[in-house]
Amino acid sequence: MLEIKNLKTNFNTYDGVVKALDGVNLSVKDGEIFGLVGETGSGKSVTCYSALQLLPKTGEVVAGTVLLNGEDITHASEKRLREIRGGEVGIIFQDPLSALNPVMSINEQIGEVLTLHQDKELHQTASEKGIPVYTSKKFSFSPGIEFTVLAICISFISLFSMLGQFSFGLPFLFIIALMFLRDYLQQEIPDSALDIMVMESLSKVKLPNPRQIASSYPHELSGGMQQRVMIAMALAGKAKMLIADEPTTALDVTIQAQILQLIKDIQKEENMSVLLITHDLGVVAETCERVAVMYKGKIVEENTVDNIFTNPQHEYTKALLNAIPKGGKERLKVSDVGEYGSI
Amino acid sequence: MMKEHIIQIKNLRKHFPVKNVWGTDIALVKALDGVDLDINYGKTFGIVGESGCGKTTLMRALLRLIEPTSGSVLLSDQLTGHSGQTLENLTNEELRQFRRQIGVVFQDPMGALNPRMLIKDIVGEPLVIHGKTENFRKRVIELLENVGLGEEHLYRYPHEFSGGQRQRIVIARALALDPKVLVLDEPTSALDVSVQAQILNLLNDLQVKFNLTYVFISHDLSVIEYMCDRLVVMYLGKVVEEADTDELFSNPKHPYTRALLSATPNFGKSTKRIMILGDVPSPITYLDESKARLATEITEQERLEIDAIKDKGIDYIVRSSLNKVHPLIEVSDKHYARVKL
Repeated sequence: MLEIKNLKTNFNTYDGVVKALDGVNLSVKDGEIFGLVGETGSGKSVTCYSALQLLPKTGEVVAGTVLLNGEDITHASEKRLREIRGGEVGIIFQDPLSALNPVMSINEQIGEVLTLHQDKELHQTASEKGIPVYTSKKFSFSPGIEFTVLAICISFISLFSMLGQFSFGLPFLFIIALMFLRDYLQQEIPDSALDIMVMESLSKVKLPNPRQIASSYPHELSGGMQQRVMIAMALAGKAKMLIADEPTTALDVTIQAQILQLIKDIQKEENMSVLLITHDLGVVAETCERVAVMYKGKIVEENTVDNIFTNPQHEYTKALLNAIPKGGKERLKVSDVGEYGSI
Repeated sequence: MMKEHIIQIKNLRKHFPVKNVWGTDIALVKALDGVDLDINYGKTFGIVGESGCGKTTLMRALLRLIEPTSGSVLLSDQLTGHSGQTLENLTNEELRQFRRQIGVVFQDPMGALNPRMLIKDIVGEPLVIHGKTENFRKRVIELLENVGLGEEHLYRYPHEFSGGQRQRIVIARALALDPKVLVLDEPTSALDVSVQAQILNLLNDLQVKFNLTYVFISHDLSVIEYMCDRLVVMYLGKVVEEADTDELFSNPKHPYTRALLSATPNFGKSTKRIMILGDVPSPITYLDESKARLATEITEQERLEIDAIKDKGIDYIVRSSLNKVHPLIEVSDKHYARVKL
């Protein structure tokens, strides 16, 4: 599905060049969950950003190829890349609250993905069911105009009644009445194809009351629900590959278990490939089939999950596993591979 | 003869009022709802729970950074110099004395260190405030050496250090006034596992060296199991289970504790997983009687999740079933849990 060959990424800083990735090779097969583990600064996230060319301006991919379904996307055009991001590859970021736009409703945010990547399907559903593609809002002016009209009407009514000609004010009274009754006079607008598809994608991630959640804003939802919305958004473009960058770090253990279960379920249902980036070996043990351990911009070990936990080969993997308290009070073995100040 | 308990918390409550637009109270957030704890001298006492269950409020009440609604904190004579003192009766001067005996380490070391102060001033600040300035430089170096840093770090700023070193500096500062108790609020949750291991080892060494009592707050059960002698599990402001670590990990009684323990990964060893379904309930209790009771029937969200995992053979409990509160009973020797008799 996704194949990364000898990827090298440099960051140019004032202190010199930081070799964030130093020849990374990995391949995620069709329909498997692949774990990428490492500590802070080991280059996990940079791998995923380099693959999709989402690096900041200071970063640059200097060598290597990225193959997505056999297609080389290292030199793909910006237009093609936009189709891939969110379309063929969905991404979930670590902190759902900062990844969601706080001033857009969930409806608008998922709708955006759908209009960009699922335009054909949207029109198809619309023509099948005979409903509009996009939501048409009820007729209304901006609040400023409404207020001005209201003020003018009231002042005319009071002017005419002061002059003793109350009947001249009646048309203005009629306008005010219309403004207040407008919502009731217009008929209910049916769901558009977009609304229906947004609600479908929300119920796919096991959210109750999709209609209510679609109309709410990110801050109204709990952390677990926000992360579910993020997953719904990543999947809305019918992604064949999901990149999850620390999807559960900001969540409690119990909610973490729910989200991981959800990712596993969806992966099985849709037969997707998942690249799970995490620093938590526990999450990997729970979810993944194969795992790669990263250290200082290199992949130091790659194996199936069972093998890596029972029979780690590389020194760093051993050190990482030893550092986790596993019951009992014996002193933790600390080797100095940990903390590295500057790369 | 040393007394066994260094701090005893009796029926501590902290309720935060929720006001409507007119400023009248309509509801209470019961952050702490009748907590009893006995913290033993020279031991590590653990507090576990998910976010929002009242761990941090408990810590703040323990330091009297907030005034509790009711309840008391009994302090032993080692902390105050007199026997039978309670925290809420201390005068300002006594409170100053008390705070010398208790050090705090917070979760995020960068947030706890002033970025514009030198390490020398940060670690020495408690000494200056409490007027212990003789041999200042020597004492600061000694403190830094306790945590594995040294004289060469005196004239640096916090940003020059890595996360683990910053946490060491915070620990050095907490130890500046020779405290008897150290309160550790998630000291390693911002750190990588290998650095976490270093800090945990350091804390164990310091405990032996200075005969410290730790109050260790965390949501990471593997860390808690490694560090603590006795622990409580909190859920929505209440203690749901209290026991010695070995007892609690081998024989958990409360359904929430069981689910929590099964959620921690243990590599290789296979245990039956229990999932907790549903979302964390809101801790708000309405004063209006009709709204006050927490629903104990299954919610829509939980029903969806049960459907999803039904045929997969995974055990589960639902959040709504945890809303029914049972009294805390002693299930075996020194093991308390809120379970049905």
